[in-house]
Amino acid sequence: MKRIETTIENLKSDITHFYQSELYHFIVMNAVDLGEKIEVQWFFSDYTDPFEIIAFCTQITPDVEIPSIRDIVPSAWVAEAELVDLIDIKIENTSKGFVLEPDFESGPLRKKK
Amino acid sequence: MAKQYEIPVGAQHISLLEPLHFKFTTENEKIIGTTANIYYVHRGIEKACCTKFKFRQVSFVVGRVCGLCSISHTTAYSQVAERLIKIEIPTRAKYLRILVIELDRIHSHLLCLSHVAENSGFEPLFMKTMQYREAFMELLEAVCGNRVQFDFSIVGGVARDLKAEVGLMITERLRNFKPQVDELVDIFQNNWTLGLKNRKAGAITREDALRLNVVGPFARAAGLPVDVRNESQELLPWKEVGFKIITETGGDAYARSLVRLREIYVSMRMIENIINGLPESALITETKAFPDGEAVVRIEAPRGELFYYAKGNKTQILERLKIKAPTFSNVSAMMEGFEGNEYGSVPAIIASYDPCLSCTSR
Repeated sequence: MKRIETTIENLKSDITHFYQSELYHFIVMNAVDLGEKIEVQWFFSDYTDPFEIIAFCTQITPDVEIPSIRDIVPSAWVAEAELVDLIDIKIENTSKGFVLEPDFESGPLRKKK
Repeated sequence: MAKQYEIPVGAQHISLLEPLHFKFTTENEKIIGTTANIYYVHRGIEKACCTKFKFRQVSFVVGRVCGLCSISHTTAYSQVAERLIKIEIPTRAKYLRILVIELDRIHSHLLCLSHVAENSGFEPLFMKTMQYREAFMELLEAVCGNRVQFDFSIVGGVARDLKAEVGLMITERLRNFKPQVDELVDIFQNNWTLGLKNRKAGAITREDALRLNVVGPFARAAGLPVDVRNESQELLPWKEVGFKIITETGGDAYARSLVRLREIYVSMRMIENIINGLPESALITETKAFPDGEAVVRIEAPRGELFYYAKGNKTQILERLKIKAPTFSNVSAMMEGFEGNEYGSVPAIIASYDPCLSCTSR
């Protein structure tokens, strides 16, 4: 797995520069609760070099809103909606209630404070 | 101007096998918009795997994510855990994993085809296909000890060996099955009424499949040659046992059925090759190592790319386990595929998507 560290500010330009639907397959987003911070990851595979999984990674505090990449990767809205429900992070133009029922307790995959 | 209606389908509906909710906006009978909700069966499996179970027990938990592709989940998890503890599994275990994955693929594809037939109003074909599938459920029971292949792949290898008489039983069943698949191909390909119901139904183009990152038979039916078995030979030797990628170009329910049927032939050939050349070795690699670092694994489940991410912290409990099921990748394309179709085609289209919400919601 090849990690590419990025920042919230650079995320969209990095993925815009990188992603071409003919060359790369968007797999999914993931987030790992590190305690004080949350690491958010965007996974891609390379059609021409299938052994390589590329992960764009950035660390955020839970109050920060992440930009959505659905204007670059249209199918990414599903993964974004999942993270909003399961990790309770904020993602631009994404509301709760897709993977969990709207009245479900927020962020079940977050570590207990 | 045509009158607009909003029609809910699911979460409990006669044409849905899974608890999934669609809301269709139609102009008279024509679908012009779709929304979906998938939240009915979330079981918190990822959470349980990172809090309640030791990493070796997790393969038994993820096997319960799905009753149709349990072997794909247990194998993908076992592989990602083996990467974290840095072990190589015995050669025989690799081939036995492929054997069960391909037996599973045949039964899963037959299940999907039977439901396409049923939802297209072709009940005798549904019964015939389910009857043929039953032979593979019995084979899975003979190989794995139960009809749903729970707990065959475990961290380090496989839990059971293949007995010689079971190998012979598989060979015999495959010989009998070949003309049965030929018969199904003939019906799905040439039956006039089935063709009327399925041609151009739920179609997506190759460009749509690329744009929406579609996976599995759904993508391959649209002409997109994506199959993890074609890409990754590192963990399991797919090409060595005769894997060949299958694609069609129609992108519709008809093409998806043909892809699944042609893939059954490929799976049969791979199983025969494994039975004929199964190497002797141990079944499991023992180690006392703890998982450390992070790793990812992709595997081709019957519905497409299954992705596992795991992060260890040198303890028995994983820091994070992430499961991405094939249907999860196909949600966007499923919704777009309905548009422009008649509402009456919805049951057949849904069956041809072969969605698995048990995997998707976890």
